[in-house]
Amino acid sequence: MSLKHPIGIDLEDLARQDALTRRAKSALSYFVLGLFVLISVGPILYVISPAFRESKSLFSYPPQWLPNSFYLGNFKFLLTETNYIRWGINTLIFATSVTLISLVIDTLAGYAFARMNFPGKKLLFGCILATLMVPIAALLAPTYLLVRNLDRWTFGLIGLDTFGGLIIPMTVSPLGVFMMRQFIETLPKGLYEAARIDGASEWRIFTKIVLPLMKPAVVVLGIFVFMQQWANFLWPLVITTKDETRVLTVGIATLQGQFVTNWGVIAAATLMTIAPIIMVFLFFQRWFVQASVAGALKQ
Amino acid sequence: MSQIDQNKVLIDWQELSLTDEEFRRARSRYKLRGLIPVMGFLGPFLLLWSVFLAIPMLWSIWLSFNTGGLIDEAKFVGFDNWSRMLSNDELVRSLKNTAIYVVIAILTVFSLALTIAGLLNSNKRGQNFFKVALYFPLLVPPIMAGMIFFFLTHYDMGIINLVLQATNHEKLNFLGDNPNALLTIVSLEVWRGLGFWVLFFLAGLQSIPSDLIDAAKIDGAGSVRRFRKISLPTLRPLLLFAVIIALIFNFQLFDSVQVLTKGGPVLGTTSVVWFIYKRLFAFQDIGLAYATSVGLLIVVVVLTVAAYGFLGKRSEN
Repeated sequence: MSLKHPIGIDLEDLARQDALTRRAKSALSYFVLGLFVLISVGPILYVISPAFRESKSLFSYPPQWLPNSFYLGNFKFLLTETNYIRWGINTLIFATSVTLISLVIDTLAGYAFARMNFPGKKLLFGCILATLMVPIAALLAPTYLLVRNLDRWTFGLIGLDTFGGLIIPMTVSPLGVFMMRQFIETLPKGLYEAARIDGASEWRIFTKIVLPLMKPAVVVLGIFVFMQQWANFLWPLVITTKDETRVLTVGIATLQGQFVTNWGVIAAATLMTIAPIIMVFLFFQRWFVQASVAGALKQ
Repeated sequence: MSQIDQNKVLIDWQELSLTDEEFRRARSRYKLRGLIPVMGFLGPFLLLWSVFLAIPMLWSIWLSFNTGGLIDEAKFVGFDNWSRMLSNDELVRSLKNTAIYVVIAILTVFSLALTIAGLLNSNKRGQNFFKVALYFPLLVPPIMAGMIFFFLTHYDMGIINLVLQATNHEKLNFLGDNPNALLTIVSLEVWRGLGFWVLFFLAGLQSIPSDLIDAAKIDGAGSVRRFRKISLPTLRPLLLFAVIIALIFNFQLFDSVQVLTKGGPVLGTTSVVWFIYKRLFAFQDIGLAYATSVGLLIVVVVLTVAAYGFLGKRSEN
């Protein structure tokens, strides 16, 4: 039995048509989304192919998508003939140190700006805010000269071709202080005031009350900083000239210059560098997603 | 009543109260003592910030009036660097390239990201999968992204050209020709940045109250119309903020130029930061690098103050 509208429109038919267009629309949406997933993931997946092939087969015609043999020579070459492992360890030292140091100083400073009162606080915070996004690219010359001169003053701790020189200048991130301050300000004030009245010192309040509540913010900032330094290229390029302190990004860029024809090696290096971070990402994806948006959105 | 009277008798208020002088001294002593924990918390950051950010910033202004300094002693040259800036062809070219790159990259990535965010917002099923999948390129450092693009776009070995060849099409010169090279670099940046902006705009879209959308639906507004009339206006402050952030980030174009083109072909992909780097470490006309750095610095600081001033105003409303 079909429902007839007084004017003669078939309502059931109308509903069926509506459902059909909605389904078509949704199918189209998913098609477009799938296309973009392909564009995003495809190029990364493609690198697997040349990494497991001999470089001379790269020119093969017609193009080869899948390696016909499981050739491991590129990886072997990378691990034995180049300093890849050294660069990898250096990258870990570099990114981890910057992350840990900046987490400590940023949370401390964030607490001071959020919960303490001192003369000139507003002015100082304004100054720091103005430098929020100053990139190392704009300070390349003075920072380079500074680190070179600091070599003498810090007894070789911070200088060219040293881990100190590589790490310390990168630990300054006003953005981190800003994020931490914003987060601490969202914590309930009552807790803090109750401890204050009970006579707890600022340090005690910070370690016993504020810090335990800050875990999510610390994780998010930590991932944010680590990812940034993991990918950092310009500063390590400028400050390091030897393999003892060179990091992966710079090392692979020099590989590219040295082995122009040995593409398989470069593909293997690229793959080996991004594979671990992708593994970590798959485990902690929720945090990563938050971290990347927080960097710009945390207001 | 009687107790209060007793207090009156027992306490000699006159004797207890401080003179103005004493009061001032005590207050400043109290304030100074309060500064000790403040410095404990703020000290480490403040020290590093001053040494590695504030001092280099001030120093770079001084440097912009100098030349030399890397291998020889710096020499004061007054406004010479500044006056030569606009007559340097390579710098003008770099500025132009960077501007073109920034505009095309932001327009492309924002329109794509807004579309995808809109699609994800109205198609909830599998949203998490798409978020994760689109995030992948962000994990790839720009240097490695450059390598990956090398494998895609190389004239002889790039997979795109191999496929074009196999299907009897003419090969494309992605990196060896202008303006192709710059467009290839734009596409790399769009590829890397897309996931980030999708997440950014999706967060914005999800903060729009759903009753607004429902009301429009009842009024019979289609999805495109809803997007244009409700989502976009609500997102506008966020969009402006995003544009400024993207301007700051993209103005620093360097890594992909270094990997893919080294500024070529014929200065077709030189960027401002590439120009600074080249001048500094190829030891040629360092003074110009100093002055250009200050120019970049001013642009970044002004944009930052604008972005956050704007954001502050928004949160007050």
